[in-house]
Amino acid sequence: MRRKTGFRILTHDRSTTAGSVLGVVAIVFLVGQQLAIMFGLFTYMSVLVDHSGADIWVLTKDVDEVNSSGSLPVRYVDRIAGLREVEWVEPLILGGGSFRSREGKYQPVQMVGLPRPRLENGPWRFDEGSLQVLLDSEGATVDSLDLKVLGYPGLLEFYEVSGRRIRISAITRNIRGFGGTIIFTNIEKAREVSGLPPGRCSHIILKVRPEAEVSAVASAIRTLLPRTAVLTSPQLAASTRLFYILNTGIGSSFGFSVIIGALVGVVIITLTMYTSVLNHRRDYAVLQAIGARKRDILVVVFWQALIVGLIGVFVGFLFLAGFIAGTRNGQLPTNMPLWFPPLHAAITLVLCLLGSTQAMRKAVKVEPASVFR
Amino acid sequence: MISEIVEQRIKAAESAPPIQLEGIARDFFDGKVLRRVLKKLDLEIFAGELTIIAGPSGSGKTTLLTIMGFLLQPSEGRIFIQGREVTRFSSNRLATLRMQKIGFVFQQSVLVPALTVIDNILLPSAIQGRSVPRAVKARARELLEMLGLRDYVDAMPQQLSLGQQQRVSIVRALINDPPLLLCDEPTSALDAESSAIVLDTLKRLSLEPTRAVVLVTHDPRVFPFADRLVKIEDGAVIYDSRQGRQGVPTS
Ligand SMILES: Nc1ncnc2c1ncn2[C@@H]1O[C@H](COP(=O)(O)OP(=O)(O)OP(=O)(O)O)[C@@H](O)[C@H]1O
Ligand SMILES: [Mg+2]
Repeated sequence: MRRKTGFRILTHDRSTTAGSVLGVVAIVFLVGQQLAIMFGLFTYMSVLVDHSGADIWVLTKDVDEVNSSGSLPVRYVDRIAGLREVEWVEPLILGGGSFRSREGKYQPVQMVGLPRPRLENGPWRFDEGSLQVLLDSEGATVDSLDLKVLGYPGLLEFYEVSGRRIRISAITRNIRGFGGTIIFTNIEKAREVSGLPPGRCSHIILKVRPEAEVSAVASAIRTLLPRTAVLTSPQLAASTRLFYILNTGIGSSFGFSVIIGALVGVVIITLTMYTSVLNHRRDYAVLQAIGARKRDILVVVFWQALIVGLIGVFVGFLFLAGFIAGTRNGQLPTNMPLWFPPLHAAITLVLCLLGSTQAMRKAVKVEPASVFR
Repeated sequence: MISEIVEQRIKAAESAPPIQLEGIARDFFDGKVLRRVLKKLDLEIFAGELTIIAGPSGSGKTTLLTIMGFLLQPSEGRIFIQGREVTRFSSNRLATLRMQKIGFVFQQSVLVPALTVIDNILLPSAIQGRSVPRAVKARARELLEMLGLRDYVDAMPQQLSLGQQQRVSIVRALINDPPLLLCDEPTSALDAESSAIVLDTLKRLSLEPTRAVVLVTHDPRVFPFADRLVKIEDGAVIYDSRQGRQGVPTS
C-alpha cells in the first residue's frame, strides 16, 4: 500500500511528475550526449592504433601519442624481425601534409604511409575501391566524411599534397582521426610528402606470434633498441587519449559540460520532488496520523523517486539512442561503449534519489497534528 | 442471552479505560512568550460512551485531542492507554499505537485525494507495509454498506459529497476496530442532514462496550448526543457531567 500510495500520488499530479521525469531525462541525455561525443573523440584519437592489427608500436623516444611524427631508422625493422616471437614487422610513416583542392584551396591532412605489398595498418572500410589501390605508386584514399572539406575530389583524379602528386583511387568510410582528415597512401609517397629522408620512418609496428607474450616481446625490444619508446597497442591508445585530454582542454571542457548537465537535472528533480511533497503535505500528515512511521513515509516518497528515476532513465536513453543514431555517418563523432549505459543509468538513479532527499526530509518532518487545523 | 450481554458489560467496565490523562500540560511559544494552553488537566475516557468535549474557541480542545491521539507531545503529564503508560514511547511505537488503538475523524474529511475510497479505507491496515488481511477487506465493505456507501467503493474522494467523504473517514477510522475514536468537530463542515447521519453513526459506534468515542465541538446542538459532557475553558476542565469521577485516575 505504501508503494501504491506513492505511485498514485505520482499519477495524481502529472505535471509535477513530468517535471521530475524531465530532470532525470536531462541527466541521462545531457551527460550521455557529452560523454558519447567524448568517447567518439577518443576513438578518433586512437583510431590508427585501434585498427592497426599490430600488438606493439615502436616510436621515437619521449613520444607518447601516436599522431606525433618522429624519426626512426628503418633498419630497426630488421633488428626486430630477428626476434623469434615476431610474426611480422613493418615501418610506417605518419606525417602532415597540405591537400590542394580543385579550386586551389589548401586543407591540412594526415598522411599514413604503408609499406607495400603487405599494407599493414591500412584502411578497413571502403565506400569505393579497395586496399589494393595503394599498391599503385600514386594511389591514395580519402574518406567519405572528408569529401566536403576537400572540395569533393573526383575518384581516379590527380591532386597535390604538399606539392606531390597523388591519385585518389579509393574512398574509405567513416575513418577519421582526431587531427581530422586521414589520407592513406604508400610509404614512399608519404615520405615524399613529409620530407623524411630515405632510410627513416616515423613508427614501426609489429605483431607477435600467437604463442608469445606481448609484454615480454615489448621489453625485449626495449633492451634491443634502448633509444626508442616501445608501447603495446592498448598502452599507446590510452596514452594518446590521455595526452589529448590533458593537453587540449577536452577533458576540462567535457568535464564541465557533464557536471552542468548533472547539476541541472539534480536541481530540477530536487525542486519538483520538493514541490510535490509540499503539495501533498496534508496527505503525509494524514498518513502519519493513521499510523505511518517515519520509515513508511520514506518508502512512499522513495518509491516515487524510484519510479520517476526509472521512467526518466528509459525516456532519456530513448532520446540518447536517437541522438547517437542521428550522428552516425555524420560529422560529429559519437561512441557508446557497452559498459557505459548500465553505469550511466545506475549513477542517474543515484542522483535522482539524492535529488529526492530534500523531499523525503520534508515529508518526514510534516507535523501530523497539522491535519487538525 | 441477556446474561451474556451483562457479562460483557461487566468485563468492559472492569477492564482499564481506553485512555487516561494525568496532569497533562502543553505550552506553546507565542512569539517570545511561552503560553500554557493546557493546564495540568486530568481526564479519563470510558468505553461504551460518547464523550463530548466542549468549550469556546481557543480553549484548547484540539490541542487536547491531538495529545490524546499522540499527534502532539504533552509538555508535562502522563498518558495511559488501556492502563498502560505510553508517555515515553518512541515515535515508531506511537505510530503503531495510533494505527491499532485510535481512529481519527477530522473537521474536514482528510482522505488522500490520489487514492480511491476503498484504498483510503484500507490505508491504516496496510500503511506499515503489511498486506491487507481478507477479513479487513470484508469489514471495509461491511462498514461501507452500513454507512450507505456501497456504490462508492472504487470512486475517487472528489466524486463524493462532503457528508459522504466524512462517512468514508469514519469507516477508515474504524477499519482496525480501535477502542478509541477521536473526532474534532466532525459535523461543522456538513449540512444538517449529513450532520445527523454522522452523529447517529458516532452515537451508534459508542454503544459498543469496548469502544469510547470522544467528540470535540463548540456547537451546543450536538450536546444531546452525549453520554457525558466535559466543558473546558482556558485549558482546564470547568464542568464534567460525570461529577465526582472527574480527573480521578483509577489504576
Ligand atoms: N502549534 C501551535 N503553536 C502555537 N500556538 C498554538 C498551536 N496550536 C494551538 N495553539 C494555541 O493554543 C490555543 C488553543 O488552541 P486549540 O486549537 O487547541 O483551541 P480549540 O479549543 O480547538 O479552538 P477552536 O474551537 O477554535 O478549534 C490557541 O490559543 C492557539 O492559538
Ligand atoms: Mg479546534
